[in-house]
Amino acid sequence: MSSDFPPYISTQLHYLLNHFPDKLKIENVWSGSKHYSVTLDRFTLVIPYCLDTIKWDIIYNLEFPLAAPDVIFGPDDEDFHRFLMMPGEGDRDSRSRAEFAMSDWNNKDPTRLLALIKELRDQYAAYQRWRAGEIDDDRLKFEISTIMTREGIEMQIISGADKTEEVKFGVPLMHMNINKLVSACPWRHPQKIYLQVIYPVARKYASAPSAPRLKLMSPPELKALFSIDDVKLPSWLDGMCMAEYLPNLEESLGKQVFEAVTLIDFRRSFIEALAPLFGRPLEADPVFCRKATFLATSGPFAFLVYFLLSTQFPKQQPVLMLQSTQHFQSQGVPIKSALLSDYPWSPRWEVSQMAERIFEFLVDEALNFKRYCNESQLQH
Amino acid sequence: MDDLALQKIAVSGPTLASMIERINSCLGDADGLLFGDVASITPTALSDDSTQTPSDSQLVATISGFLCFISPLSFYDSAGRVDPTLVTTHLNQKPLIGWFSSRRKTPIRPSMREFSVTHSLSSIPNLSLPIQNPNFSSNFPPSIFLLFTTPFQDQLIHTNQYCAYRFQLQKQCFSPVSIDIVNIGPAFRGHYGSFCPSSALPFLSCELKNSAAMNEDRDKGSLSGVKQAAKDQEDLDMCAEGMDIGRLSQLMGPEAANYTAGLEHLYEKMLTKLESLSRLVEASSAKVLEQENHNRKLRLKVAKSAGVE
Repeated sequence: MSSDFPPYISTQLHYLLNHFPDKLKIENVWSGSKHYSVTLDRFTLVIPYCLDTIKWDIIYNLEFPLAAPDVIFGPDDEDFHRFLMMPGEGDRDSRSRAEFAMSDWNNKDPTRLLALIKELRDQYAAYQRWRAGEIDDDRLKFEISTIMTREGIEMQIISGADKTEEVKFGVPLMHMNINKLVSACPWRHPQKIYLQVIYPVARKYASAPSAPRLKLMSPPELKALFSIDDVKLPSWLDGMCMAEYLPNLEESLGKQVFEAVTLIDFRRSFIEALAPLFGRPLEADPVFCRKATFLATSGPFAFLVYFLLSTQFPKQQPVLMLQSTQHFQSQGVPIKSALLSDYPWSPRWEVSQMAERIFEFLVDEALNFKRYCNESQLQH
Repeated sequence: MDDLALQKIAVSGPTLASMIERINSCLGDADGLLFGDVASITPTALSDDSTQTPSDSQLVATISGFLCFISPLSFYDSAGRVDPTLVTTHLNQKPLIGWFSSRRKTPIRPSMREFSVTHSLSSIPNLSLPIQNPNFSSNFPPSIFLLFTTPFQDQLIHTNQYCAYRFQLQKQCFSPVSIDIVNIGPAFRGHYGSFCPSSALPFLSCELKNSAAMNEDRDKGSLSGVKQAAKDQEDLDMCAEGMDIGRLSQLMGPEAANYTAGLEHLYEKMLTKLESLSRLVEASSAKVLEQENHNRKLRLKVAKSAGVE
């Protein structure tokens, strides 16, 4: 018997997971009822924040469905309660932030849980900004004041090595919409590249303030188009501040992303150039053109050829892999070759020439592969 | 007003045990009010040091009773705002020092609503208790919060966990306080004083039969005398069963030569009363359980239909 939430909780939960702007995850589900119950009423929500995640426990009460849920925050956020008790900004009369978040609870309305979590997350971001503002460090105060105009920056106080305090900034880069640049883009969420900047809080007797630690971060789906590992960050000069550093980085990053998008078409033209020689591909990635599979024959020997194109194509040559359709290992797994990337190649060739040269290489390589397959089979 | 330091919270073993038993028998989460008092103690430094700095007096809170609500949002709303009228209806002149909350399989730290409720409860004027100490007079708001949870994985040895906090209004934060469980033993003596009997012996007017004139009054059975006697018997029946009011005279005055026997008789009758009371409680508990089960079925019905709009 599978455990499940009662309908009023599951509708709110599904609405939350489907409509929340960021990707939320549920880590744990369980029941708070006395008897061993298969009906659940509590779960742990993993919410992305500042290039990391925060975990909150959402506690409903199965015995009292009309009651609003309660929220238990992370163990390091005890001060968040104090922040929530303060009156909110703007024209929210004199209600505290917590009261505002919990107002108008209605368990029959599927959107209420989303409204609550969204409001609390916004408050959490405001709380971290408030905490960062309280830190007595002139450089930090200056940084915060100059970059607060940028949309979407989140910050978080974290404890670094040796229990020192550090302030982490998650800065979204480039206002361009990467999703729009890719035709037939399959991504559900907007892909953004972030710069993570970690400032150590200056200690009283420290000499010169040390440079912050910089790191580029992006969601994993972006790798299909563009790998941030290939980007070399410009160096942070002494006495620099983020307002100076960011524009250069964004310009260079923007150029690299545009280049990556144009490379999609180049890869596509290469795959199309393979067709006259190898026949129509069995499989090909139509959006990012990162791989294609063809069926080839060498006499009576039929095998598959996998083409794996990296984001650095054509500077980096494609990696080939062969797979036999007639030879199998003991477990029934077809025999595959090693990854082949050591064949004649020049990025300056025309795509038709690239295709021809690979074809010639494979004519010979197929015989080696056939021999290898036969030998492997004899061993089993 | 500066928040005076709370050194510890003392609770007797039976009180804590009955609190845990009560919340374990609830089907879901529960919460309730804590009653007790707060006293200031000046720790005596036993030293011959002549340069003795006066030590700060510290507070010790004692929990002597509780009231458990089985439905949530009983004296507060979803946002954690406490309704003072709902609290005072439950007080019945009992001194409120805080509240407790229990929730199964959750981390042992205060939640968003628990923080709001404690903040709200501590801020209600007129609910503060006077601190028992002759040196200074100050008030202690009901700022104690006791949290009960259970571990995530069902365990055989460790089934409940609890921890206590004191809410500091100035700093707006919880500060953990250690709990001192006082069990029967030499240390328990101090607790005798902090427990007030909930059913004291009624105050009966006692006139010593020393005047013949008064005797005549009574023997004549005057209306006022009979009425008074009937009222006194009613008062006595509240704490003893089957004891004639006349026998009280054996405890005082000239007839008190047989004092011990009279006292034993009184206690015997009080125990009889307790026995019949406990039978009454048992019967009414069964009825309450039936009603609670009925309510629970209705709530589950609402829960099933609530998702369909």
